Amino acid sequence: MVKTNLNLLVKKAQKEIEKSRNLKELDGVFNKYLAKKGEISRILNSLKKLPKKKRAKVGQKTNEIKKILAEKIEQKKQKFKTDLKEKSDQEQWFDITVPGKKIALGHLHPLGQIRKKIEDIFQSMGFSVVDGPEVETPWYNFDALNIPADHPARDLWDTFWLKDVKKKFLLRTHTSPVQVRYLEKNQPPLRIIVPGRVFRHEATDASHETDFWQVEGLMIGKDISIANFKAVIEKFLQEFFGRETKMRLRPSYFPFVEPGFEVDIFCSACQGNGCPVCKQMGWVEIIGAGMVHPNVLKNAGLNPKGWTGFAFGMGMNRLAMMKYKIDDIRLFNSGDLRFLQQF
Amino acid sequence: MKFSFNWIQSFFNKKLPEPKKLADLITLYAFEVEKIEKFDRDFILDINVLPNRGPDCFSHLGIVRELAAILNLKIVEQKPKLIEDKENKAQDFIKITVSEKSACQRYTARVILDVKVQPSPDFIQERLKTCGLRPINNIVDISNYVMLETGQPLHAFDLEKISDRKIIVRKSKGREKIITLDEEKYDLDKDILIIADSKSPLAIAGIKGGKKAEIEQKTKKVVIEAANFNQKIIRQASKKIDLKTDASWRFEHGLDPNLTTEAADLAAALIQEFAGGKICQGFVDFYPKKVLPKKIILDLAFVEKLIGLNIPQVKIKNILNKLQFGVKERGVGKLEIKVPTFRLDVSFPEDLVEEIVRIYGYQKVPARLPMATLIPPEKNLDIIWEYRTKNILKEAGFSEVLNYSFLSKEDIDNFGLSQPKLGILEIENPTSADFQYLRPSLITNLLKDVKKNQKNFKEIKIFELGKIYKYQNSKTVEKRRLTGLATGDHFYYLKGIIDLLLNSLGISNIWYKECKPTPEESKISIWNKKKCAEIKIDQEEIGFLGELSAKILDNLKIEQKVVMFDIDFEKLIKLTNEEQEYQIISTFPAATRDIAVLVPKFTKVEEVLNKIEIAGGEIIRDIDLFDIYEGEALPEGKKNLAFHIIYQAKDKTLSSKEIEEIQNKIIENLEKEPDWQVRK
Repeated sequence: MVKTNLNLLVKKAQKEIEKSRNLKELDGVFNKYLAKKGEISRILNSLKKLPKKKRAKVGQKTNEIKKILAEKIEQKKQKFKTDLKEKSDQEQWFDITVPGKKIALGHLHPLGQIRKKIEDIFQSMGFSVVDGPEVETPWYNFDALNIPADHPARDLWDTFWLKDVKKKFLLRTHTSPVQVRYLEKNQPPLRIIVPGRVFRHEATDASHETDFWQVEGLMIGKDISIANFKAVIEKFLQEFFGRETKMRLRPSYFPFVEPGFEVDIFCSACQGNGCPVCKQMGWVEIIGAGMVHPNVLKNAGLNPKGWTGFAFGMGMNRLAMMKYKIDDIRLFNSGDLRFLQQF
Repeated sequence: MKFSFNWIQSFFNKKLPEPKKLADLITLYAFEVEKIEKFDRDFILDINVLPNRGPDCFSHLGIVRELAAILNLKIVEQKPKLIEDKENKAQDFIKITVSEKSACQRYTARVILDVKVQPSPDFIQERLKTCGLRPINNIVDISNYVMLETGQPLHAFDLEKISDRKIIVRKSKGREKIITLDEEKYDLDKDILIIADSKSPLAIAGIKGGKKAEIEQKTKKVVIEAANFNQKIIRQASKKIDLKTDASWRFEHGLDPNLTTEAADLAAALIQEFAGGKICQGFVDFYPKKVLPKKIILDLAFVEKLIGLNIPQVKIKNILNKLQFGVKERGVGKLEIKVPTFRLDVSFPEDLVEEIVRIYGYQKVPARLPMATLIPPEKNLDIIWEYRTKNILKEAGFSEVLNYSFLSKEDIDNFGLSQPKLGILEIENPTSADFQYLRPSLITNLLKDVKKNQKNFKEIKIFELGKIYKYQNSKTVEKRRLTGLATGDHFYYLKGIIDLLLNSLGISNIWYKECKPTPEESKISIWNKKKCAEIKIDQEEIGFLGELSAKILDNLKIEQKVVMFDIDFEKLIKLTNEEQEYQIISTFPAATRDIAVLVPKFTKVEEVLNKIEIAGGEIIRDIDLFDIYEGEALPEGKKNLAFHIIYQAKDKTLSSKEIEEIQNKIIENLEKEPDWQVRK
């Protein structure tokens, strides 16, 4: 008898919970069944009359029901609350076209970014990154690199000299002195790149700068060949420009390499038809390179026998200019934030 | 150098490719052709002959030899016939004395009598003009013509103007003077090599002829000089008197001493043809030590190894032959190469490899990745810390600049950088007054950046990580420095940035010490003395933080305040630490209590913090200053400091009672100071 009553009660209560349309109605259901004077309490109170054994059983059952109903009501209540919030959200007017709040991040210099990119590519091919002094001696900048004094080859590098220290110091005109400095302290086989500032005594204009950046490369081993150089540089260019880059080697002369060559890349601006970027040549010169001259190895205190290798140097400003389509080399040292904040 | 297309063509029977195409070939196989230009019925090819190839290729014949090899063509010899007059012998007309033997390897002269000076024939004039030379008269034009064809500079003297018919090659005695053909006057000091007669200088050797023995309309007897002067001596002289000529340029690059007779013969024959006259028999030739061809043994395995490609031996032989090298087999896989004496640039097997591979074609060399041991590159911590530092500053809103490494005289004066102990390095040959010194500090150029940018940006936050340069203990020193700035009244902001930076680099124990410049320093101090601190890590000073003095800012016309940090990056990276250790997170709850203290205006926050810490002990996890207030509601001369104090124990939950006790202890400790008052 009690059992049937309980089952009926539960069904009835559940139905009423389902049917309730708002918080108020739901409160009504709560009051009717679960409040102090509600149906459930009434049943619990009536238990006193039952025999002890039965009382326990029914009591337990009733409490379970109480718990279930309370949960159901709470769930429904949450739903009403969520609905209410959603409704109020929907009713609010919101303009997503208002500009986003400006977050001021800083910017890294484009040359620094280019340098990092170059280092990453070469490091992935096993090249270590090394550094060397910018104030150099003529020995490392010229003589050790097979460029004798009073030789017209020196005219290829217009040089800043330091005062008072009579022809004892100069500002390095290329990163190549580090080749010799590194070879003095390290045995081949070896692979390095050397990024850094270099200086040329030149009048500045849109394509000439006195104070700019180069990266030097050097790989020496037992059987390093021109074919190897080609592959390494091809790989580099492909990674750097993010696409297949057509390149060619043509003869050139740097006293510290033999054979010496220049790497040109196909002018992407004009597809080889000739334009101001490539000075109407269809090709842009980007790397000076060659096979390390035996005299350089000797000057670094190595026995050149058995060792061959390649060396190369490229202007980072030039690479940055090509990559970002920058038309004036002087912008790099300008400190102009209108330029720097674009990168 | 400018070359005439038609002139080059005249050495081949076969028609050459059209100029543009020919230029592309020369660029790809020999030298870069910088420009092609139509000129009358001819084309000018402006070829950038590489400096090591000056000896053989500052000449049309040199380019012709290159093309013969590149296009596999036969060169047509076209020497005009030379008829000598057996009645007259050259040596009877002129005596040559070379007293400076080390400066003149060879001196060859020919004598031509009864010439008629007049304009040279059209083809010579045209070719000279194409190559950028001005025709003068047949004798002078022919000397120039022969130089352009063979590369050997020649000089023509009027024999009758040479005193005692004696030519002497010697160094100037000093105090000698010469008036050159272009009417310029030069003082010849002791190092300069000259050509003189028994009385006075006739020419500056290898550079320029003098007025004294000039060829004129009435000249009848001509001496043609074809000499070989020492390249260094000519280069030095040319620099000293600041005169570069077509001749000096060729001599300073070096020349084949065996070329003089060939050139003198060609000139004599042409003079005979176009100026008439009789060529005296023989030369007067000073050539004590004949230069013979070098021999190099070429190992074909080495050729293959260096190029990374096996070029057939027949091809190698053909290439070298076309370039006029002698080739003989010397056992298996070895060749003996005889180097023509005009190839001054070839002395190593590597030089021969270059000749082979460039003519064979670099485009035919395959790209093959090297075989190398699989070892990771050495980690360069210096650079890793550089990038990390730059990234932290970037994320914090600072932009990186790279400034010139130079400063001007004005900068040096404005910033008091000229003191001897700073060891500033001066450039001997600056390109402009702005680039006269190497920067001993990054501060100057960064402030100049502020000046440049202030019209476009209200707030400027920039930094540079770069080298500074000094002269110390007879050595040049370059060190990396990290310097940055923010415009505005932002001392504490920048201090926070430094804390953030150093913490992110794994550095703790950072503290700041008031900067007390010595009286001497303070005169030139760029800092606002009241707002300047040394940045310290433990006991080491690593740099400065401070506001720039009004004087410096006014000087540069910077309108806002500027706060800067200037850190010795070399010291900094020695203190960085990549190691990190996990600190156990306390499972017991933290509790925050606030405390506000009213203190005299000149009390330092640090003093208050110390008192809180001492009284609180280990239970305090953190103290956070969240407000400094001075103003109306407060008594005169006082300020209010407000702190959050965060309490947390490692081993238990703190009860409110415990916290209350510590908080009271702190208050008690603070109020021991008579002027301090905790606001309750």
